[in-house]
Amino acid sequence: MSEHTSDGTELEAVEPGLEFLAPKFEVEGFPWAQVMGYVFSLLLTFAALLLVVDHAMPPILLLAVILALALGQAGLQLGVFMHLRESRGTAWQLLPLGLAFFIAFALVGTSIWIMLFKTGVS
Amino acid sequence: MSTPAVSERHQSIPVEFADEEESIKITGFWMFLMTDMIIFASLFAVYAVYRSRTALGPTPQQLFHLGPTVLETLLLLTSSFTVGIAVWAMRHNRLRMVFGWLIATLVLGAGFVITEISDFVSYMSQGATWHVSGFLSGFYVLVGTHGAHVTFGIMWAITLLLQLRRRGLTAVTRRKLFTFSLYWHFLDIVWVFIFTFVYLSGKIA
Repeated sequence: MSEHTSDGTELEAVEPGLEFLAPKFEVEGFPWAQVMGYVFSLLLTFAALLLVVDHAMPPILLLAVILALALGQAGLQLGVFMHLRESRGTAWQLLPLGLAFFIAFALVGTSIWIMLFKTGVS
Repeated sequence: MSTPAVSERHQSIPVEFADEEESIKITGFWMFLMTDMIIFASLFAVYAVYRSRTALGPTPQQLFHLGPTVLETLLLLTSSFTVGIAVWAMRHNRLRMVFGWLIATLVLGAGFVITEISDFVSYMSQGATWHVSGFLSGFYVLVGTHGAHVTFGIMWAITLLLQLRRRGLTAVTRRKLFTFSLYWHFLDIVWVFIFTFVYLSGKIA
C-alpha cells in the first residue's frame, strides 16, 4: 500500500476516489473529546430526568423526547468513546452495526405495534 | 508538503490496529457486540410487551425509585468516561495512567452492581419478586442480564489488570484493553436505554 513518489509527497499510495481506504485515527494530546463527551452525556441524562420529573409535556410526546435523548446518548458513546469511525482501511464495523440497529428497532417496534392490536381482537 | 510522511502515517496507526491479527480481532469483537445488541433488543421487546401485565403485583410507577437508578446512571456514565481515558492513556504509552483509570472504572462498575443489587433486594422485600407478574419477569430478566454483563466486565477488567502488570503494553494487551472499552461503552448504551425505557418511562403516567 505505502509507496513513495519520486518527490516523496505521497502519504500513502491511495488511489484517487479510494480515499476512504486511508487509515483514520484520532489521537490527541489532551482527551478533549472524552471530557466533552462526558459533559454532554451528563447533560443528556439530566435533561431526560428533569423532563420526566416535571411532567413537562403530554405522555406520548415526553416518551418520544426521552427516547430521542437516549438515541443521542448512544450516538455520542459510539462516536466519541467507541472510536466508531476509526479503521485501518474500510470501517467494516459500520455496515453490521447498521444492520444490528435495524434488527433491534424492528424487533422492539413491531412487538409494540402488534400489542396495539389487542383491543380490536378480543 | 515534503515530509517523511509515510513513516509518520504508520506511527499514527495505534499499535492495536497496526498489528494485522489484533486488528481483525477488534473487528470480530464488533460482530460480537452486534449479536449481544440483538439479545438485548429481544429482552426490550419482551419487556415492552409485558410491562402493562402487572397482575396483582405493583405497577412500574408504584415500584420504581428514581434515586438509586440515577446514582447507577451516574456511576456507569462516569466509568464510561474513565475507561475512555484509559484507552487515551494507552495510546500515549502511559502504563501507570492506564492502571489508575482502569481501576477507577472497575470500582465505579462495582458501585453500580452493588447499587443495583440493593435496589433489587428492596423491591423483593416488598414482595415484588420475578414470578409475581409478567412485568416483573420481564423487568428482572432485562435489567438482570445487563447487570450480569457488568459483573462479567468487572472480572474481565481484573484479569486485564493482572495481564497488563505482567506483560505491559503489547499489541495483544492493547487490543484487549481496546475491546474491553468497546464492551464497557456498549453496556453504558444499553443502560441508558434501560434507564430511559424502563425507569423513566415507568414514571410517565
